[in-house]
Amino acid sequence: MIFLTISRTFKSGLQNFYRNGSLSVAAVSILTLALLIISVIIVLSISANLGLKYIQDKIDIRVYFKSETEESKIMDFRSEVMKYKEVKSADYISKDRALSEFKSNNVGKPEILKAIEAVDENPLLASINIKAKNPEQYDLIAKAVENSAYKENIASVNYQQYKLVIDRFNTTIKTIRKTGVFLFTLFSLIAILITFNVIRMTIYNHGTEIEIMRLVGASNNFVRLPFVFEGIIYGCFAAVIAMLLLFPIVKLITPYIVGSSYVALIQADFGKYFVLIFITQIILGTLLGVVSSLLAIRRYLKT
Amino acid sequence: MITFRNIKKIYTGGMNTVALDDVTFEIAKGEFVSIVGHSGAGKSTLLKLITAEEKPTSGEIFFNGEDIIKLAPKQLPYHRRRIGTIFQDFKLLPKKTVYENVAFALEVSGCLNKEIEKSVPQILEIVGLSNKIESYPSEISGGEQQRTAIARALVHRPALIIADEPTGNLDPISAWGIIQLLLKINKLGTTVLLATHVKDIVNNIKRRVITLDQGRIIRDHSKGRYAI
Repeated sequence: MIFLTISRTFKSGLQNFYRNGSLSVAAVSILTLALLIISVIIVLSISANLGLKYIQDKIDIRVYFKSETEESKIMDFRSEVMKYKEVKSADYISKDRALSEFKSNNVGKPEILKAIEAVDENPLLASINIKAKNPEQYDLIAKAVENSAYKENIASVNYQQYKLVIDRFNTTIKTIRKTGVFLFTLFSLIAILITFNVIRMTIYNHGTEIEIMRLVGASNNFVRLPFVFEGIIYGCFAAVIAMLLLFPIVKLITPYIVGSSYVALIQADFGKYFVLIFITQIILGTLLGVVSSLLAIRRYLKT
Repeated sequence: MITFRNIKKIYTGGMNTVALDDVTFEIAKGEFVSIVGHSGAGKSTLLKLITAEEKPTSGEIFFNGEDIIKLAPKQLPYHRRRIGTIFQDFKLLPKKTVYENVAFALEVSGCLNKEIEKSVPQILEIVGLSNKIESYPSEISGGEQQRTAIARALVHRPALIIADEPTGNLDPISAWGIIQLLLKINKLGTTVLLATHVKDIVNNIKRRVITLDQGRIIRDHSKGRYAI
């Protein structure tokens, strides 16, 4: 009985879908548009977050100490810095470690290795590698370091070069989040309204049929389900089309949002999110379709 | 089978229209009852109360001893499957064939395909449409369309057939054919309730006639004539 109802109502929903060609096209395109906008926002914020994380992992403040500074002094500095609540980690990189890292970074470049071996003493400086909990705090930490009691021993603070990148990412993420929430709400509402109206029109087209169904004793579910299935079909179609359009569009617009130099970095990563985004779209699309259908059919089922 | 007790129906809206006023009657199983009256006398309202499309303002309605005013919305479809309804405008689905139109009534109530394939040809045989099963409503005459509607009403094997002006769109000969068919169905044991304002038909049937005027029953004769 349940199986019969579902198979029959699914069939008639499918029929509704292809027999009302132009209305179906209208409903699918508006749903596609809504999904597309929603998922572009999702992708952008995912990729901006990814990019930020990537850069955050790379960036740090390197405080280089003058060659003659004793290790104990550096360790004092380290424990001092660790007390700042903004600091996530502060790694000590000794001269020896700096040298071995330098060597391993330059394997395959014998002339460089030869050059460094030619020098008797280790030419590299010991350093403390500071990472902040939040990228906005590097400014603060850098200032604190520069004004600390140890400034006599500090050879240089390597930080300025990242500042622009960090600032850029921070503002981008903030903009994406703010406009994202706004656009998300707006377009969800528009999509519900339009799908609701389109489905209401198709239901209006089926007025006599619904009347006859009720006349011959169809249960409310039997009247309702074809339109619910129609909504699901709208949603699935819209999700697939939106998915096909999504990646070219993202490729097109990311340079304008995050700056062209980081595009490759960002786009490499969100391929992983394909399935997640697709599932989100299907769920959102069918939900929009089904909710609109249920709203539109309600007044036909009163008595 | 049907009992109306002190039924009053007032349509509230711009102005209050009294459609039925203190209507009381009873219809026994197997009867053939004509309900006559001018337009607006309350015939359609009375029929809609039986199918529970409308609820009365006050009074009681029993169908096979069951108080249908108290039916939950979920039970209404099952109530309606016990009643076959026929209208002046046939209400057939234009994109379905005669066979599909009749089968539709069984499909929506969850009958198995096997039963549908067995019942539909039988019913179409009874109404005399065996040779038109593959035709669409637009390809057959008005009388044949109404026969299709009757077949659809009968396919649930209902206890009651309600015919609301079934001959309104038909020429006299087709109309008489439809009435003959209704009489035949009645003979097979189904109660028939016929609303009409065609004098000749009522006078020829020579069955019970209930006459409505301005929402009241003004006459109820067991071998009635059309007289208003």
